[in-house]
Amino acid sequence: MTLYVLRTLAKMALTLLTIITLVFFAARLSGSPLDTFLGDGLTEEDRALMIEYFGLERSVWHQYIAYLRGILDGNFGLSFMERRPVAEIVAERIGPSLQLLGSAIALTLAVSVPLGVVAALWRDSWVGSAVMALAFTGYAVPNFVIATFMVLIFAFVLNWLPVVGNGTALHFIMPTIAMSGVLIAALTRFTRNAMLDVLGQDFMRTARAKGLPETVVILKHGLRNAGVTVLSVLGLQIAGMAAAGNVVIEAIFSWPGIGELLVSAAIIRDYPVLQFGVIAVAFAVVTINALTDIAYVIADPRIRMAKG
Amino acid sequence: MKTILMTMAATLLAGTAFAQSITVGAANISDYLDPGRDHSNVGSQFYYNSFDTLIDRDHSKLEPEWVPALATEWKLLDDTTMELKLREGVKFHNGEDMTADDVIFSLNRMYQATFAPYLVRSKDRLSNFAEAVKVDNYTVQIKVERPEPLWETLVSLQQVMIIPEDYTKALSGDPEVAEDGDFEAFSLAPVGTGPYAISEFVPGQKLIYSRFDGFWGEQAPLEQATVIRIPETASRITALKTGEADIVTNIAPDQLDLINADPNLKTEGSATALFHVMIMNVNHPNLTDPKLRQALSLAIDRDLLNDALWLGKAVVPSSHTMEEMGELHMPELTTFEYDPEQARKLLAESSYDGEEIVFDAYPVYYTNGVLAAQAITEMWAEVGIKGRVNVSEQWTGSSPEMMTRSWSNPMYFADPFGSFGVMWAPDAASEGAGRFNTDEEYREIWDRFRFSADLEDRKAAYVELMDRIKQDPPVLPLYRPFESWGMHQGINWKPQPGHIPYVLDFRAGAISLADS
Repeated sequence: MTLYVLRTLAKMALTLLTIITLVFFAARLSGSPLDTFLGDGLTEEDRALMIEYFGLERSVWHQYIAYLRGILDGNFGLSFMERRPVAEIVAERIGPSLQLLGSAIALTLAVSVPLGVVAALWRDSWVGSAVMALAFTGYAVPNFVIATFMVLIFAFVLNWLPVVGNGTALHFIMPTIAMSGVLIAALTRFTRNAMLDVLGQDFMRTARAKGLPETVVILKHGLRNAGVTVLSVLGLQIAGMAAAGNVVIEAIFSWPGIGELLVSAAIIRDYPVLQFGVIAVAFAVVTINALTDIAYVIADPRIRMAKG
Repeated sequence: MKTILMTMAATLLAGTAFAQSITVGAANISDYLDPGRDHSNVGSQFYYNSFDTLIDRDHSKLEPEWVPALATEWKLLDDTTMELKLREGVKFHNGEDMTADDVIFSLNRMYQATFAPYLVRSKDRLSNFAEAVKVDNYTVQIKVERPEPLWETLVSLQQVMIIPEDYTKALSGDPEVAEDGDFEAFSLAPVGTGPYAISEFVPGQKLIYSRFDGFWGEQAPLEQATVIRIPETASRITALKTGEADIVTNIAPDQLDLINADPNLKTEGSATALFHVMIMNVNHPNLTDPKLRQALSLAIDRDLLNDALWLGKAVVPSSHTMEEMGELHMPELTTFEYDPEQARKLLAESSYDGEEIVFDAYPVYYTNGVLAAQAITEMWAEVGIKGRVNVSEQWTGSSPEMMTRSWSNPMYFADPFGSFGVMWAPDAASEGAGRFNTDEEYREIWDRFRFSADLEDRKAAYVELMDRIKQDPPVLPLYRPFESWGMHQGINWKPQPGHIPYVLDFRAGAISLADS
């Protein structure tokens, strides 16, 4: 188990170094901060002054080495615009994003697992078909469409829910549902499939043969085993969501999160913010994946044996 | 009794509802707040509420009318020296008294800039200003290199608003020395003398103005104004509907009906003192022939663009001129016009041989920018020019490859120098970027325009400059875009005609809340 965890950590470190390198060079390939509207009305001489001010006058390799050195000291640089440590800026923004992600995960689990089980148990009746139809629809509708329609109905027309920021619990309702839509759809399908696999297994028949009540058979023997698949899928989905899914939702609901920050930083080429933001998100994704792997092993000892 | 109680409750409720506090939903909020280094459209929204200049103007009037601000009187001692008496008893938001030391510190940080962002900003408009010197605690002198015809205009710029010396110097490093770090720290914790203190600033997210009781002038009408960022237009309008915002910024013309249809809401707007322009790279090998560039310009029906994209609310100029410029507003000039016949004729005489002319446009930065670009290339096709729109986030205006593109020429201050000059003077932005050339003659005309003491001489020189631009065009101002704000019926606010674009002026006289 220890070896397994160590191996997972080493993989994490390598992935992060690759991402740091990629984002560092990709940011610079996309243009300089003076290529955007910051450059409006600057003469060449002014541009040279500003490039020096931003510390971009040295070669890219020089900057890269200096950046890696800084990281080892825990220094990720200053934002070009705000001139304060990027870690401070990202720290302000990551909380709201994680809160939203957390509530989306909670909602997803609360809705999709029961739905998936129901769809599996009643797979031949209209109930199962209805659940699956809903799940497929949910999967096909992008989250920003759900968000826009909710805003139109519940805020613009009915004026029941607020649309700006994350001030109160009410503020969480629409963005959480919008973010969960696709997750719920995906997880319901996976839960159903996993349950169907499990329902046909010998140990289920054994459990029933022992005379256990049906609820115990389904919940303890069925769901527990199906849970492994569900868990890994959830991990992957969340990772994807943390990396990209937040951006649009945060913009629509003026959510002060990291997705919004990264978009602004990308537009004005604020490299230090962009780099650290991507690294922070990558770190979150890699960590979630690693935790999923480890949770997987805990949930199913057979995997631990196989993976050594 | 019951009636009395209900009346009292209603009064109390009304009192709470109009507690002289508002929330503004802005499309963008600055990442830093320093009036000196900023000249962006985003930043210009925020400074006037919290900072003062030495001389101000009556912003309710279109024509410049100078009024005392932090200076109570000013006079010229000679051609190159202005002496100003400072107002006594002025306090900064942090409680410090404002004296001559703060004033010369603020001015010289621009006039003798060492901090790169200040240097860049001062070069294009303040290069004639040599230094500010202290005479006594409440008297300062400003010295210029050459006799200055635009004294008041250039002393009332946003860039020379007054900030506190001791506070700023102590923000980082040595508290006795002004370092780059001090100015960087200042822009996250700005302090001025205006009617509102900035009590909270979250860069890019939120700004809270609180009434500053120590203000030297008429008290601020609002107790508090909170500005929050709502990047999506649809969300801004919804926030206005739900009451989460009382005023929202940057409403496009096609959204106005949506707001005005609600009896509780209204819109205010004006043609902004800023031109959306098309620039043409005079040094691009395919565009060196002035006749071709004239044809590119003459082929564009700007009135049609205005009708189609701005519902006729934008303003199409006949020259690079704005009504805010007072005596120097010269609408009688016809520098730019629509004449497709002439365009065809010039095209036939020109070196044009069917090459593709690329028009670069930002995807979203300018309202209607991409639509205008597409319409322009269609209009070119009408006269026989093959055009193509290239939508890109990149600023290509400094690239030798750039052929034509969208840009803007804001009015940074109310003089042709503050709009045309910042962009098209010798060695200014356009020539500096390598897409515009000037020669001895142009420099001589510019010099006469910039420094002539006599207004008529300045006007005559500007006519010559516009003629040069007409003969060998590097730019076509398309229109002054119509900018709108949405708000609740109970709010009396509209953009003041005497401001530079986008200023959210919440000072006394500029905003009031209905109390019923």
